[in-house]
Amino acid sequence: MTKKVHDDNLITSKQYIHNFILNNILFVRNKKLILNDLNVELSSNHFVLMTGQNGSGKSTFLKVLSGLLKPDNFSITYQQKASEAAQSKSKFWFSQKFFLRKHFCYLHQTPYLFSGTVYDNVAYGLMHKKLAKDEIAHKVNEALKVVALDHLSKRNSYALSGGEKQRVAIARSWVIKPAFMLLDEPFANMDKHSRHSTYDTINQLKEDNIGIVLTSHDPHCGELAFNRHLHLYQGKMNENPI
Amino acid sequence: MSDLSLATTQAISLLISADPDLWTIIFLSFSVSLRAIIFSAPIAIIFAFCLAYFRFPGRQLLIALFNTAMSIPAVVVGLTLYLLLSRAGPMGDLKLLFTQDAMIMGQIVLCFPLLVALSHASLQSTDRRVWETAITLGAPTFYSILTVLKEARFGLMAAIIAGFGRIIAEVGSSMMVGGNILNYTRNIPTAIALETSKGSFAQGIALGLVLLLMALVLNLFLSIIQGRGEMVS
Repeated sequence: MTKKVHDDNLITSKQYIHNFILNNILFVRNKKLILNDLNVELSSNHFVLMTGQNGSGKSTFLKVLSGLLKPDNFSITYQQKASEAAQSKSKFWFSQKFFLRKHFCYLHQTPYLFSGTVYDNVAYGLMHKKLAKDEIAHKVNEALKVVALDHLSKRNSYALSGGEKQRVAIARSWVIKPAFMLLDEPFANMDKHSRHSTYDTINQLKEDNIGIVLTSHDPHCGELAFNRHLHLYQGKMNENPI
Repeated sequence: MSDLSLATTQAISLLISADPDLWTIIFLSFSVSLRAIIFSAPIAIIFAFCLAYFRFPGRQLLIALFNTAMSIPAVVVGLTLYLLLSRAGPMGDLKLLFTQDAMIMGQIVLCFPLLVALSHASLQSTDRRVWETAITLGAPTFYSILTVLKEARFGLMAAIIAGFGRIIAEVGSSMMVGGNILNYTRNIPTAIALETSKGSFAQGIALGLVLLLMALVLNLFLSIIQGRGEMVS
C-alpha cells in the first residue's frame, strides 16, 4: 500500500477507509455449489445487511471473508492493488488468509466467550500485541464503555446473559480495530431488550469507521442504519435498494 | 480372618511409624511415575491436538491404533522392552535394564496411548468456536493452540490423572525391566507382589492401602475438576 493510497482514503488522523474488491469467490461443499462466482466490493464505511434463506451460504461467505474457510477460488484487490498471484492455489490461500484475518473479524451467531472474566475476554486480542498493561487496560475499558458493559468487567464470562455475551464479543472485536466486523445473525435467540441494546452498540460502530456486514433473515432489521443491502440467493449475490 | 485383621493392624502401624523402607518404596514409586507422566503428557497432548484439529492421510488409522494400544498388557510392554534393553538386544549398549530409566520408559509406553486417546476425545469435543474465535481475533497459531488447550483443560487433566492411575499401579513392566531392586527399582506394585509371595502380608497391605488412598484422592480430585468443568461450560 502506497502513501498516496493512504492519503486518498484518510478520514481522521487515525483511521482510513479500507477498500476491498473480492472477485470470483467460489465455494463448493460436498459437490454442492454454495458460493457461485461471487463478486463483492466492500469499504469500511459500508454498513451492509446481508439477507438470505437458511443454507443460502451467508455464514460460509462470512467465514471465507474472515479467512476461516478456504474457498475453491477467489481473488482480492485491496486499495486498488490486486493480490499477487502465487505458484499454487494452496500457497495463494496461505498468504491471503492471514491478510483476511488481519482485516476481517468474524463474530459467531452464538459467541464463544473464553473462560475467565469479561475483562480477560476483551483483552484477548491485545495480549499478543506488544502493549503495556496500562494501555491494554485503557483500551479494554474504552471498549466496554462502547457496549455499555464497563460495570461487568470483573464478572465471569459464563455468568452473562445471551445479549451481554454478544455485546462482550462485539467489544472484544472492536478493541482490535479490524477494518470489518462480520456479524453472523447476532440477534438470533435474543429478547427484545437485548436486541435494542445491541442495535445501539452496532449503530455506534459506524461512527468508528469500522465496516459491518451483518447477516439476518429479517430484511427490515430493526433500527440499524444500513447503507447497503445484499441478498444471497442460490449462491449468487444481488444488491437490493435500501 | 484374624490373620487379615492382624496384618492390617500391623500395616497401619507401619504406615504411622513412618517405616523407612516402606516410605522409600512409596517415594520411589511416585518419583518414577511422575517423571513418566511429565515426559509423556506434553507430547501426547500435541499428538492429540494434531489428531483433533488437522486432517491428514492415515489420521483415522492412527486414532484406531492409539485406541487399541490403550489396552496393551503391561507384561507385553515389559517383555518387549526387556528384549530391546537386554545385553543381546538392539539397545543393550545403553545399559538401561534394571534401572529407573527403564521403568520410566515402560510406563511412558503404557500411558502414552491412553493420554493421546483421552486427550483427543477431550479436544475433539471442544467447541470449534474456540479455535475460530482465537484466530479471528488475530492470535498467532501457537497462542490459539494454547487457548484451545486452556479451554479443554478439565478434560486434559482428567486424561493425565487417568494415565497416572494406570502407571502407578502397573506391575508387569516395572517388574520385568526394573528388576525389583530394593531402594532402587522397587516400587509399590512390585513390592506388594514380592511381600505377598514371601507371606509378609503387613507390608503388602500397607502398600496396598497407600495405592487405594491414592486412587481415592485422585478420583476425588477428578470429580472436583469435572464438577468445575460442568459449572464453567
